Amino acid sequence: MSPVEALLRPLKIKHLTIRNRVMSTSHAPSYGSDGKPKERYQLYHEEKAKGGIGLTMFGGSSSVALDSPAAPWNQISVADDSVIPFFQEFADRVHQHGAALMIQLTHMGRRTKWDTENWLPTMSASPKREPASRSIPKEMEDTDIRRIIADYAAAARRCKEGGLDGFELSAAHGHLIDQFWSPSVNKRTDKYGGSLENRMRFGIEVLEACREAVGDDYIIGMRMSGDELIDDGLTHEDCVAITRTYAERGLIDFANVLGGQARDHLAHAIVLPNMSFPVAPFLFLASAIKREVDIPIFHAQRVTDLNTAGRAVAEGHVDMVAMTRAHIADPHLVRKLMEGRIDDIRQCVGAGYCIDRIYAGGDALCIQNAATGRERTMPHVIPKATEKKRVVVVGGGPGGLEAARVCAERGHSVVLFEKNAVTGGQINIAAKATWREALTGITRWLTQQAAKSGAELRLGTEATPATIEAEKPDVIILATGGHPSHGDVKGADLAVTTWDMLSGKVEPAENILIYDGTGQHHAPSCAEFLAKRGALVEIATQDRMVAEEVGATNQPIHLRELYKLGVVLSPNLQLTEIYREGNKLVAVLKNEFTHEEEERLVDQVVVEFGTLPNEALYFDLKESSINRGEMDLHALVEGRPQPHKVNGHGGSALYRIGDGVAGRNIHAAIYDAARLCKDL
Amino acid sequence: MIASTLSAIVIITLASGLALALVQARRWRAGRAADVDLIAGLKALPRRYLVDVHDVVERKPFNSRFHALTAGGFLASLALIPLLAIPAFRHWTVWGLLSLALVAMLAGSLMVGWRRRVEKPAELSKGRFSRLPFALLAYATAFLVVALDQTAGGVLPWQLSLALVLVGAWGCAELVLGVWKGPLKHAVHGALHLIAHPRPERFHDGLGRDTALRPLNLETNGKLGAERPLDFDWNRLLGFDACVQCGRCETACPAYAAGLPLNPKKLIQDLVTGLEDGADDSSYAGNNHPGRPLGLAHGSPGQPVIGPMIHPDTLWACTTCRACVQECPMMIEHVDAVIDLRRFQTLELGATPGKAAGVLEELKATDNPGGQPLSRRLDWAVDLSLPILADQDRCDVLLWLGDGAFDLRTQRSLRALVLLLRRAGIDFAVLGPEELDCGDVARRLGDEATFQDLARRNVSTLRRYAFSRIVTADPHALHTLRHEYKPFGLDVPVIHHTAFLLDLLQAGKLTVTAANGTSVTYHDPCYLGRYNGEIDAPRALLDAIGVERVEMERSGLRSSCCGGGGGAPLTDVAGKRRIPDVRMDHARATGAATVAVACPNCALMLEGVVGSRPQVAEIAELVLAATESPK
Repeated sequence: MSPVEALLRPLKIKHLTIRNRVMSTSHAPSYGSDGKPKERYQLYHEEKAKGGIGLTMFGGSSSVALDSPAAPWNQISVADDSVIPFFQEFADRVHQHGAALMIQLTHMGRRTKWDTENWLPTMSASPKREPASRSIPKEMEDTDIRRIIADYAAAARRCKEGGLDGFELSAAHGHLIDQFWSPSVNKRTDKYGGSLENRMRFGIEVLEACREAVGDDYIIGMRMSGDELIDDGLTHEDCVAITRTYAERGLIDFANVLGGQARDHLAHAIVLPNMSFPVAPFLFLASAIKREVDIPIFHAQRVTDLNTAGRAVAEGHVDMVAMTRAHIADPHLVRKLMEGRIDDIRQCVGAGYCIDRIYAGGDALCIQNAATGRERTMPHVIPKATEKKRVVVVGGGPGGLEAARVCAERGHSVVLFEKNAVTGGQINIAAKATWREALTGITRWLTQQAAKSGAELRLGTEATPATIEAEKPDVIILATGGHPSHGDVKGADLAVTTWDMLSGKVEPAENILIYDGTGQHHAPSCAEFLAKRGALVEIATQDRMVAEEVGATNQPIHLRELYKLGVVLSPNLQLTEIYREGNKLVAVLKNEFTHEEEERLVDQVVVEFGTLPNEALYFDLKESSINRGEMDLHALVEGRPQPHKVNGHGGSALYRIGDGVAGRNIHAAIYDAARLCKDL
Repeated sequence: MIASTLSAIVIITLASGLALALVQARRWRAGRAADVDLIAGLKALPRRYLVDVHDVVERKPFNSRFHALTAGGFLASLALIPLLAIPAFRHWTVWGLLSLALVAMLAGSLMVGWRRRVEKPAELSKGRFSRLPFALLAYATAFLVVALDQTAGGVLPWQLSLALVLVGAWGCAELVLGVWKGPLKHAVHGALHLIAHPRPERFHDGLGRDTALRPLNLETNGKLGAERPLDFDWNRLLGFDACVQCGRCETACPAYAAGLPLNPKKLIQDLVTGLEDGADDSSYAGNNHPGRPLGLAHGSPGQPVIGPMIHPDTLWACTTCRACVQECPMMIEHVDAVIDLRRFQTLELGATPGKAAGVLEELKATDNPGGQPLSRRLDWAVDLSLPILADQDRCDVLLWLGDGAFDLRTQRSLRALVLLLRRAGIDFAVLGPEELDCGDVARRLGDEATFQDLARRNVSTLRRYAFSRIVTADPHALHTLRHEYKPFGLDVPVIHHTAFLLDLLQAGKLTVTAANGTSVTYHDPCYLGRYNGEIDAPRALLDAIGVERVEMERSGLRSSCCGGGGGAPLTDVAGKRRIPDVRMDHARATGAATVAVACPNCALMLEGVVGSRPQVAEIAELVLAATESPK
């Protein structure tokens, strides 16, 4: 038996038999609405249930009390009974597909803000500021402790009444319970502070109250760290002792173990490992705790592929493997395993796009799967079209490949032209930058699936109006991508672009200034690439910080690498002019706040100003198309077919997508393609 | 003078032939005693020949015709010529009848000559068989001229007539004395084999089909299984000796086609050769077991067969698909011989090769071949909440899951089947952890002891409950439960899921709402088709869901094995190719988009074929996609 098959063994916890060992941990996709898990949230999890998952847990950091606001990240509030009907609807929706459903309950303590919902002060064991949230909490007094324990118990009851299969308490990522545990936060001198036994007390009282509320036969678990990985935090031995104590008292039925914590920016990036990390970096911590306790151990942290997951279970490291981001990329992962179609799984590449969007105030979206979180309008399984059309796609980047894939799965006859010898488009350039290499997984999967669904990929073939016309297409989709902009500063022609450097077109010189005009991954990853080749590099940007648009799980990694390589970070400086001086270049930088100018004498100025669309082919074809290249945006957004009727060869409808319209990102290109093509 | 010379020569030759046959009979009579009703067999002989043998021979119409002409003419002439010894019969009418018989024989002989000397199909043996057309032609032509001359009153000079008689006499001797290791051995032994056949139920005067292995008496003090030629029952040896080396088995054998070291014709000939003291196979003039040179095999009636005479790889390459038995015009039971030999290897020597030995150990220790805890049989179906028979004691349909329930691929088709039963509102249950492996693999690997142990315990479990029928998606379990558990006391209807699903569709309990419409070719599982004669229901089911059904060249009762039976995937004997690759070529040749299978072994074997190929789908999966509950 292959290790992956170990994932398909059921797991029995009390009355509940979970059909397999694959789960999704509670997280906060920002799909809540008014503190409730409504249709969008439910459909998102229902899709995983349809896709064969054993257990799906929702509501990361669902709040139990008024002073732990649910408003950030559109979270769920379990602080009153109005949530119960939504739980019932949610549970029925997931149970009908055979999956189990649980929630995470928490009081976030100091790990939140006081000014987001009820304007109540944040609470913690001691009044120490949390670096990430910057809030300074109130030290809890006995009445606070009693009230919050009662809030936990009431929330537990609501879970049971709502028909959920169980819940876990978050005691990880620096929430209230582990704020009490961790000596780095808890400086109390009463019976809740000092010794580990005292620091465990608050959690024990919370769990005892929950047990009393829901009874011994209800499932309660605990999300916790296996080692806080900081000097003054919980050690691995502390974490083993905590798990053992709670488990032996019958307070918890499973422990959901992770490595690290999240109180500062880098810790945050480590606890949610991106593609710069190896797979399953903290499995050893969960495995070590499993050896010490008799309750099932769950674990999540960059387990992106089934073979790693299968080994984690088959070798006895853990009982359940959480593949949370893996399910965001492909909610039908388990079904594909059961159907012997592992190759068809769209594997998470670890870009962290989903979670980074949350911290930027957005909703969780997958960099490569446009249907995730949009289940109401976007299908995860592409339905066949009733009428077969001839489709020509130009461009083999993520947008063009997704268009070819979706059209081919619709049953259309698809020809894709790509002028390069390989598919991938701009992703091939981005992936040159050290740890960003895994991005190629996006287009590798799309290429494989497009070809498998019957699309003809004509590589090394530049499309012309004549070669397109020869295909007699009903629909032409231009995904021609963009070319790098040099910007419009004086002397811009003296600059090279990040593309030139990453693609190897230009050799790095000794002394380089990179100017970052987008705040995205491009400039910092190029800086890292150049610094690793021995150049002295400075990044200047008019933003307040380098990589300002990059989210919380990626920006810290960029900054760590740049600092380690000695790259000079110069925010708040705008590039105004480049001129030649001898065999060197002078870059003129103007301070955003003082308007004073500084100059840099360098060998190369590398600029990042995003891309401008490649649109020559579009304008060649525009007048001969039946719709003059125009998309009906209302139809597009509402998920209706484009109104341009094509039958046989009475002319072609012409659409352009992705950076070929305006430079944006990978998700935008894929969403453009999927949204248009699902209705063709 | 011509008449008396002719008749004397023929009578003497026939007497010599009879004597030789009697001497030769000692060889097979030395076998073990067998329980045979000779009187009934004798009575049934003519019809068995005309119905059952003819049914096989007729599959090659040209052969059927030349055999009727040649053998009919020859036998008629052998009946008429001795009459000429009596002067009263030396009448022109008798000579005329003889002429007619010989004309028929001459025509047949020319056809034989065409086939053996011009067409020369690869499966035919050469050697003495290559002389056969000359002997037939000499006999028929020479005696015909003499007979015509005598009919006309005798106008030829007597010297010429005598010379012709002598030429014909050579032919007659070559033919008749050929009962001794020659081509005509099959005539005598074939007839005797039809009389004393070890499976009389297989003929039309019995059940028409008899494919279940016979239980081995494990309580005996004697040897278990066959070690030496003498360890076979005498009528089995008789059967081997009836082989006419026509090579039909060789053409049908999937192992031979894939270049595995097994040629069923040679296997039988090896056993025949072993009936002589100190014999070897150097005079065998047909194709050998692939990859093995002639001249190495040697043996004696009292010497072990496996090793000196038959290489173990040959024995373990057999998939027990019965294609050879299906094609054999002499009604030889090759698979029984293979199992008898395997029983000795496994039970007495513990010489089961490859992964098979480990699987038998697992079966003994855990009651399933994968060594899985039985409690895990329903792991795949947690979300289906299958009713367990022990919880309710009775149900209409007992769904026998088989060991495929432990396998990822098979779980998919079982899931489809369960969903269909639910859709149709069937009252069904499963045994769950009480279900043991049915014992098919153990039995085919020769481990009769493990089989009987599993059979007894399964039967005792099944007899505790009330249900009206067993439905299974595994033809191996179907065959075992339906036929091979009978001696152990199980007698309930066992239905293959294809037949059951067809009934549900016909009864309106499932409605086709999304007709399939794609081209599908159906691969018959050996244990459903040849073993149980069920080839129509799966096809009717596929037609009912609207597939565009195309047939492979080998299909139905003459289908070709996937390579998954008889423990062959475990013994894993290497050949030039893999058997499923060969079978997939047959499927590719149809151009079908899908190969529909109806057996977990077939699904695994055919899905294991790499490269571009039709997709493999279990019929239940196709039915699930095409139907809904009735509105």
